[in-house]
Amino acid sequence: MSESGSDGGKWLDAHYDPVASLYTFSSCVDLADLSGDGESRLVVGDLGSGSSGMKLKVFRGTALMSESTLLDLPAGLVAFFMDLHEPRIPAVAVASGPCIYVYKNLRPYFKFTLPSLEVNTLEQDVWQQVREGQIDPPTLKEMLESIRMKADVPLSVRSLRFLSLDTSDMGEYVQLHKQQPIRRQTVITCIGTLKKSTADEDGVSCLVIGTECSDVYILDPEAFIVLYKMSLPAAPTLMDVTGQYDVEFRITVACRNGNIYILRRESDKPKYCIELASHPVGLVRVGKIVVVGCADESLQGFTQKGKKLWRIVLPAPIITMAAMDLPTRGFQAVLVGLANCEVQLYREKNLLSTIKTPDVVTSICFGRYGREDGTLIMTTKGGGLMVKILKRTAVFDDRDSSAGPPLAQSVRLNVPKKTKLYVDQTLRERENGLAMHRAFQMDLSRLRLAAAKAYVKALESSLTPMSSSLTEPLKMNAVVQGLGPSFKLTLNVQNTAACRPVMNLAVSFLYDENLYRMRNPYMRIPLLVPGLIYPIETFVECTSDRGISDIIKVFILTKGRSSPLLTAHINMPVSEGLTLN
Amino acid sequence: MGLFDKLAGWLGLKKEVNVLCLGLDNSGKTTIINQLKPTNAQAQDIVPTIGFSIEKFKTSSLSFTVFDMSGQGRYRNLWEHYYKEGQAIIFVIDSADKLRMVVAKEELDTLLNHPDIKHRRIPILFFANKMDVRDALSSVKVSQLLCLENIKDKPWHICATNALKGEGLQEGVDWLQDQIKTMRT
Ligand SMILES: Nc1nc2c(ncn2[C@@H]2O[C@H](COP(=O)(O)OP(=O)(O)O)[C@@H](O)[C@H]2O)c(=O)[nH]1
Ligand SMILES: [Mg+2]
Repeated sequence: MSESGSDGGKWLDAHYDPVASLYTFSSCVDLADLSGDGESRLVVGDLGSGSSGMKLKVFRGTALMSESTLLDLPAGLVAFFMDLHEPRIPAVAVASGPCIYVYKNLRPYFKFTLPSLEVNTLEQDVWQQVREGQIDPPTLKEMLESIRMKADVPLSVRSLRFLSLDTSDMGEYVQLHKQQPIRRQTVITCIGTLKKSTADEDGVSCLVIGTECSDVYILDPEAFIVLYKMSLPAAPTLMDVTGQYDVEFRITVACRNGNIYILRRESDKPKYCIELASHPVGLVRVGKIVVVGCADESLQGFTQKGKKLWRIVLPAPIITMAAMDLPTRGFQAVLVGLANCEVQLYREKNLLSTIKTPDVVTSICFGRYGREDGTLIMTTKGGGLMVKILKRTAVFDDRDSSAGPPLAQSVRLNVPKKTKLYVDQTLRERENGLAMHRAFQMDLSRLRLAAAKAYVKALESSLTPMSSSLTEPLKMNAVVQGLGPSFKLTLNVQNTAACRPVMNLAVSFLYDENLYRMRNPYMRIPLLVPGLIYPIETFVECTSDRGISDIIKVFILTKGRSSPLLTAHINMPVSEGLTLN
Repeated sequence: MGLFDKLAGWLGLKKEVNVLCLGLDNSGKTTIINQLKPTNAQAQDIVPTIGFSIEKFKTSSLSFTVFDMSGQGRYRNLWEHYYKEGQAIIFVIDSADKLRMVVAKEELDTLLNHPDIKHRRIPILFFANKMDVRDALSSVKVSQLLCLENIKDKPWHICATNALKGEGLQEGVDWLQDQIKTMRT
C-alpha cells in the first residue's frame, strides 16, 4: 500500500490481485449500487479464457460476491434503471450474440432477441427443395454458392456453415437442419444507455444497441420493444450516448470503416461524419468534446459537429480508454491505457498524470465503488484486478504539453512608474537635443585629439612598453620586489613575433646616482625565442635614508641604433628599511 | 448512566475534556457516540451521516465534538478548526471495509501531520469497529495496515468493538480515562 512516484502520489493503492482471473474490456465493466445500500458494486462481464468460462461476476470491496455463467461471449454490459420501482435498484444488461440478457437482483429476468432479418428468397426456395428431397447436398452446395456470389441479401448462418463443411459431413448436416425454418440473425457489437425523459441519476434509461448489420436500435426499457431504428454506412464498434430520448439525444459511434458518425434525434441517418486517417480504437465523450483514440497512437479531440480541435501523439499503442468524471469536484478527463504498461490521464490535450502498472491494462472504469467516489478500477491482460482511490487532497494542474509561446511571455514585467525627475529629464532632452549633441561631439573630438597627441609623443620618445619596430616586436613589463633599501627589479621581456627570434639586445638603466646604486646598470639580453617570457633580474640599492624615491628609466637597446626600442619608467617605492652602511 | 458519565463521576472532574471523534463515513462514529451518550439522550435510529456533520454534546464533565470525514474533503478546512480545542481523539475504523483501509490511513496521516495535532501529546483511541461482521479484519491487522507502530510521540490504544452491541467500548474508555488522568496530574 505504498504510493507510486510517477503519478505524483495522487492515488492510493487500495487493492491489487494479479490472479483475479478477470479477462475483460472496458465495454464489459460497470459500477452500480446493486443492493440499494449506498455501496456500489463492480459488475464485470468476464470473457474467460478461450471459448469457455464466460461469467457475470460481481465484486464487493476486495471480494468476489457472486458469479453466474454466461451462455455466450459478452460484447457489452451496462447497469441501468428499467423501471420506477422502489427500492431503486438498477438492472444489469449483458449483450452477447443476438441477445440481451437482463438481470435483476443478480437473477436472470428477461431475454431480448434482436428482430430477425430478411432471408434471401432464393435461399429459402433451395432449402424448400432440399426438404422435398428434390436436390442432394452437392447440388445444394453449388446452388448456394451461386446465390452467395450475386445476392444482395446475404446468406443465413446455416447456409454459410454448410458451405464450410467437408463433403462427407454435408449429408448429416442437411438431415439435422432441413426441417427448421431458416432465420437470419445479426449480433450486437456495442451497447449503451439513454435516459428516457429525465436527466436524474436514477432516471429510467433506454438501451441503445449497435449491430453487425450496421443498425442502431433504441429499446424501450419496460416493454423491450424497438422505439427507434437508425442505419449507419458500416458496423459500429464503439458508442457514446448522451441526452434524453424524449427531449434530444446524440449518439456518437465509431464504425468499422474508420469513420465516426453522429446521430441525432430528428434523423435516422447520421447527421455528421468524422473521417479519420487511422482506425478508431477508443471513444470517450468529455462534456462537449469527443475524444477518439486511433490505431496510429494518436488521441484526437472533436466538437460534437465533427470539427477537429486537436491531435496529440502518444508514447505507445492504445489498448483501452475510459472517461474520468468526478462531478463533486467538477473534474473531467480521459484515461488512456497504453501497451507500455501505463495509464495516462488527459484533460483535453494535456497530460495530467501517468500511472505505471505491473501489466498491460485492458479495461478501465472510473466512478463510485463501495463508498468512495473517486475509484479507478482496472483489469489487466494477465487477469489481474487493480483498485486505486483518488486521494481527497489530489489536485491535477494543467501543464500545457504542446508547443507554443512560453509561459513567461504572458507574465507582465514590473515596470516602475515614471517619476517627476524622469519626465523633467525627458523634456529637457527633447528641448535641448541639438545643443547636447553638439557639446558631446565637441568633447569627443577633444578626447580623440588628446589621445592622438599622447600616442604620437609616446612613439617619438619610444616611451611605450611595446616596441613599434617591425623587426623587433617586443613587450616588456617590470616588477619591483622588496621593502628596501635593497630592491629586486625584474624585467619580463617577450618577443611577440610569430616565429623570428630577436638577437643582440641590451638593457640599460638611467637613474639618479645620488639616490640609487645598481649592481650592473648595463646587461646583454640573450637571444629571445618567440613567445617565451624572459625574466631579467637585477638588484637596486637605495643609498638615501631621507625617505624619498625617484624614477628609474629602463631602455631596451639594439646594436647599431641610437634610439631605444623600448622605454619604461619604474616608479620606485620609498625605502622602508635603513641603509646598512 | 452512559459510560462517560461514570467516568466523569470516578474522576470527580469539573472541567470539560474536549474529545474529537473522527473517522471515515460509515465507520460507526454516530453509533459509538450514541452508546457513550447519557442514557436518556441515546437516540434509537441512526441514519448514516452524509457529507459533513458536527455533533456536540456534553456529559457532566466531558464535551464531545464529533466529525465525519467523508466526501471528497470539501469540508476539511471546516472541521480542522476544531483540532486546536481537542484534548483527546477517538479514531473509528470500519474493520470490514478492507478497500478503504488506505483511505483511513491517509486521513489518519493527514490528521497526525496537522500543525494543531503534530506536536501535542494527545491520547488517541482507535476503535476497530464492526468486529462482528464476517471477514472483518482483526485489530492487530488494522493496526498493521494503519502503521500505528509509527506513532511514537502520542499515547495510543486500539481495541476491537461492536458498536451495535456496545462491546469493546468499555475497554477503550477505561484506557482513555487513565490517559486523561495522567494528563491532568
Ligand atoms: N455490523 C456492525 N454494524 C455497525 C457497527 N457500528 C455501526 N454499524 C453500522 O454502520 C452504519 C454506519 O454507522 P454510523 O454510526 O452512521 O457511521 P458514521 O458515518 O461513522 O457516523 C450503520 O448502519 C450502523 O448500524 C458494528 O459494530 N457492527
Ligand atoms: Mg455519523
